[in-house]
Amino acid sequence: MTLKRLSRVLLVLCAGFSTVALAHNPMCECKEIAGGQIQCTGGFSDGSGAPGVTLDVIGYDETVLLPGKLGQDSTLTFKKPSAEFYVLFDAGPGHVVEIDQADIQPQ
Amino acid sequence: MSKVIAAPAPSPLRAFWLKWRFHINILLILVPLGFMPRYFSEAALFRGDTGIGERVAGDVQVGPWSLTLAEFRNEGPRPDPAGPMKFFNAALCATCAEQVKATYLRIGKPRSLRAAGVIFFGTPYRMGALLPVPERTPADAELWVTMEGWDGTMHQGSIPLSQASPATIAWLNKQGVKP
Repeated sequence: MTLKRLSRVLLVLCAGFSTVALAHNPMCECKEIAGGQIQCTGGFSDGSGAPGVTLDVIGYDETVLLPGKLGQDSTLTFKKPSAEFYVLFDAGPGHVVEIDQADIQPQ
Repeated sequence: MSKVIAAPAPSPLRAFWLKWRFHINILLILVPLGFMPRYFSEAALFRGDTGIGERVAGDVQVGPWSLTLAEFRNEGPRPDPAGPMKFFNAALCATCAEQVKATYLRIGKPRSLRAAGVIFFGTPYRMGALLPVPERTPADAELWVTMEGWDGTMHQGSIPLSQASPATIAWLNKQGVKP
């Protein structure tokens, strides 16, 4: 009985401390899809998705061309802007991923 | 008429065990001793007894402020699901600890404060940031530090990556130039 209780405590401790060790760095990937559109998928390195997180398309002159938020499936699809741009996945200060238009995989 | 049954002779393995088990157990107690020096050096590094990191890169002047930048470990970036990551530690200058609200780190000059890079966590005397290192980073890249003050001002400064982390440059050279 005591052993069972002890193993439960150990399990709780392991579960509690495992989250400390898990970093959750923001991740974002964009690719070109059919119809001159770009699809970006956001998430975190611990495997969690990022629904509702801000993803802005910003011009090289720092004007926000397309303010957006990721959908329930952690993706956002938008029409490729004609001006030079980069994508900013913004999960809060210091938790951003920048993707330059040159880094977006062509179809 | 007493019946004495002789015990069967133990197998050679069991005989060895019976003869040496005491000494083997003493050896087992000694095994952790071999790991002690590494354990204590790691504990000192994590606790900060050996400074803010394994290798102090130097001071970076950021407007009116400055910070001491160090590599937490003197090694190249470590793999991560979000790409190769390098851990840097830093300490703010004594006078600016109360004036600086946030400190960011990025490879290359930030486009804006929003995209200033990764943020440093921790106390002003010992803070850390996990910096993503793109595989296509050029060897002559600069590490940019952006500081935001409580008064709303923003200042930037940079240090060559080769000075901040020679191990990262060696890692990049080993990777080769990526397209």
